[in-house]
Amino acid sequence: MTRHLVDVFETMLSMPVTLRPGAPQPNFDSRVTGSVGFAGEKVNGAIYLHMSAPFACTVAAAMLGLKPEEISDDNEVNDVVGEATNMITGGLKSWLCDSGAECAMSTPAIIRGQSFSIQPMPDVARESLVFAYEENFVVVEIHIKLN
Amino acid sequence: MALKILSVDDSRTIRLIVGKAFKPYECEMVEATNGEEGLAAAAREKPDLIILDVTMPVMDGVTMLTMLKADDALKGIPVIMLTAESGRENVLHIAKLGVRDYLVKPFKDDQLIEKASRVIPLQKKPVPA
Repeated sequence: MTRHLVDVFETMLSMPVTLRPGAPQPNFDSRVTGSVGFAGEKVNGAIYLHMSAPFACTVAAAMLGLKPEEISDDNEVNDVVGEATNMITGGLKSWLCDSGAECAMSTPAIIRGQSFSIQPMPDVARESLVFAYEENFVVVEIHIKLN
Repeated sequence: MALKILSVDDSRTIRLIVGKAFKPYECEMVEATNGEEGLAAAAREKPDLIILDVTMPVMDGVTMLTMLKADDALKGIPVIMLTAESGRENVLHIAKLGVRDYLVKPFKDDQLIEKASRVIPLQKKPVPA
């Protein structure tokens, strides 16, 4: 997962992010979360990509080759965060499929809000990875269940 | 006459990035947001190249590709798949359907242009004097 996130941020955004092992979960005042699910006979789950709303705007501008102030509405930000989540999940899906756990991916969805958490369903393992770019944080949350 | 390139992707972001990559070249961009729209656009516009996503609502890229290749009028249009999924089986399955190339997201503009250049004769736009 680390490699997939780093690849997306470096290749599409020219933003070298670094993993912060053991870092506390950042408190985002306002948050944009991308989510993409995956499901198959042997495995199912979802990837959530969390970042603050201002940083999501910066990310959207970087991916679209614009300045942050040129981002005119939330839909542009949502599409970029959704696509970044899609790319990260695609990397995981490819690895799962190559390991014999064929699965299909959903299209992305976006959650916006403050002070919310995503609770895993029973028997679903959850892992959270915190990354940093300058003073900004990005969290990748993986929910996965092996059948 | 400018080459015509059809970009089929449900993400506006990706369609913008693809369009930006081809902007320095003599080509006209056409867009569609899913496989169903993509098939209609292919029949209407007769593009020289299709850049096709896999996971899309309404009709996915694999279904669109299968239908395109089953249509005598459209099967000759070259297709480059642009997708987040790079699993071995997935790549082999799509390769069997007759794609010209495969590019995995995340990608750089120059990777897309390099692959497209192998399929169509891209010409740079003249620099204004």
